[in-house]
Amino acid sequence: MTDTPAGNIAQATSPAGDIVGTRNRWYLGLLLVAAPVLLVCWLIIYPIIAAVVQTVWVPDADGVNRLSLESYRFFFSDGYSLANLWITLWTTLVCAILLLLICLPIALYLRFSEGRLPAYVQALAIFPMFVPSIILSYAFIRVLGPNGMLDILLNAAHLPKIRSPYLTPWGPVIGLVWDHIPLTVLILLSGLGNVSNQSIEAARDVGAGRLIVLWHIILPRIGNSVLVAASFAVLGIFSAFTIPYVLGPAAPEMMGPFMQRTFRELYDPTSAITQAVISFGFCIVFGLFYVYSVARNQRT
Amino acid sequence: MSTLVDKRRIDWAGIAFAVVLTLVIIFPLIVVGTWAFANVWRYPAIIPQEFGLRYWGTTLSRQDVWTSITMSLSLSLMVTLLSCIICLPAAYAFARMSFPARNLLFFSFLAGQAFPKFGLLVAIAGIFLHLNLIGNFWGVVMIQLVGTLLYMIWIPVAAFQSVDRRMEEAARDVGASPFRVFWSITLPQAGPTIAAAVLLSFVGTFYETEGAWLIGAPAIRTMPVLMISFINNQPVIQYGAVLSVLLWIPSFFAILFARRVVNSSSFARGFGG
Repeated sequence: MTDTPAGNIAQATSPAGDIVGTRNRWYLGLLLVAAPVLLVCWLIIYPIIAAVVQTVWVPDADGVNRLSLESYRFFFSDGYSLANLWITLWTTLVCAILLLLICLPIALYLRFSEGRLPAYVQALAIFPMFVPSIILSYAFIRVLGPNGMLDILLNAAHLPKIRSPYLTPWGPVIGLVWDHIPLTVLILLSGLGNVSNQSIEAARDVGAGRLIVLWHIILPRIGNSVLVAASFAVLGIFSAFTIPYVLGPAAPEMMGPFMQRTFRELYDPTSAITQAVISFGFCIVFGLFYVYSVARNQRT
Repeated sequence: MSTLVDKRRIDWAGIAFAVVLTLVIIFPLIVVGTWAFANVWRYPAIIPQEFGLRYWGTTLSRQDVWTSITMSLSLSLMVTLLSCIICLPAAYAFARMSFPARNLLFFSFLAGQAFPKFGLLVAIAGIFLHLNLIGNFWGVVMIQLVGTLLYMIWIPVAAFQSVDRRMEEAARDVGASPFRVFWSITLPQAGPTIAAAVLLSFVGTFYETEGAWLIGAPAIRTMPVLMISFINNQPVIQYGAVLSVLLWIPSFFAILFARRVVNSSSFARGFGG
């Protein structure tokens, strides 16, 4: 494979600029990118279209395909499905708010300080990226679960045990927030890079306090990064599987475990795919905004 | 920046963040590490009654543990290899060549990011159902391969674009063959970043749980999948702790070698920051 791209250096290095193609060589570029592009078409774009089509275009009693919203009607009239949707929306909202409340102060601190202590704080904030969520779940149970480390320490201090969040809706919230801290901090920190020191010093010079600077100078400039961080969190949390499956209650369950159970244990792919399409619907605004932001950054 | 921080004052905010984050992020992992080396630890003792390696022996003699280690390694190696074969030439083409719909195709790799991941996996599983790829090694390979595409193309594209073109031209001018230029000029400059991308995709695949669980079960049991069943059904706590420590080894290498990439500003921008 290596000599094929090398063969094009000759034309690519011509002085006309970065990207140079000749009429007889353009197919070579297409050929080289064909495999991953076809994979995206087959395993991302086609499944999404197929999912929508096969849940609305279903065979009726006579075996003839016709337009029907029956599986959606079932979902939105079924109490259990609605409870699962509700717990998912609640978890997503609570996590997104907690993430911003936790990560914005960390990012602000990292942006405006330097030295060893901030470097340590940054290393800690990024560390969860290197801890797979299944290890995190296990650690959560060992610390916050029944007779976990926290109970041991409370007992040693002659205090009552905690009401463990394990297998309650707060279990997934704590796990998912922990898991999403690194990228939220990185995205916000990257946004804070756009706030110039001069503008803050200018405001300070005319006597603005910390809160005034935060509210009037910093927040308006990082609004977009906050939205990107929130969108990323929503996309990741809405259909999270591992953490809610291991740490969450058996019922109601979040959409991820719900879809998995419907597909693998109830052998009902049509309902599972309907649930997937409904998840797409709830996330589409965040998804499009997120992809737009990533694409815009890549262009500049 | 130092004008914004009063040097004489103690950095209370920093100390508070450092203490809280250490307690919340490092402490739980230390507890797991302690469990892995505890022969006996009964409630309510604060430290184990007896330390030792007893459970390393019993965990490593379990057949299911070894099967999952081999399965995880062969899956991750296969996915990373296939990903290199199809993505690196494509990345080179995106960085250096001109062809119709180049931008559209380049941004098509973002398509998967616009949808919640597990919903997408269920939609793919619906397709795999008709192809008999459920519970099949190659089904899991395909689904994990798709997960690596974005980073295995975008990071190497950036690497190829940052190579100094004048050095390549100079080498060409003194008569180096195109292959020689690629091997001696382009690859050494782009190599470290590409290696980091390959390592990240190996580690990411190693820890991929949701696709393996949804598509692979019950035939395909990777280490994270085995870990889920240990959490759900295994009364001996130490088995899970030992497996956690083993499971964390690839991450350790990722920290050692890929931290530079993760800490760079372009990494955060790649996530839209």
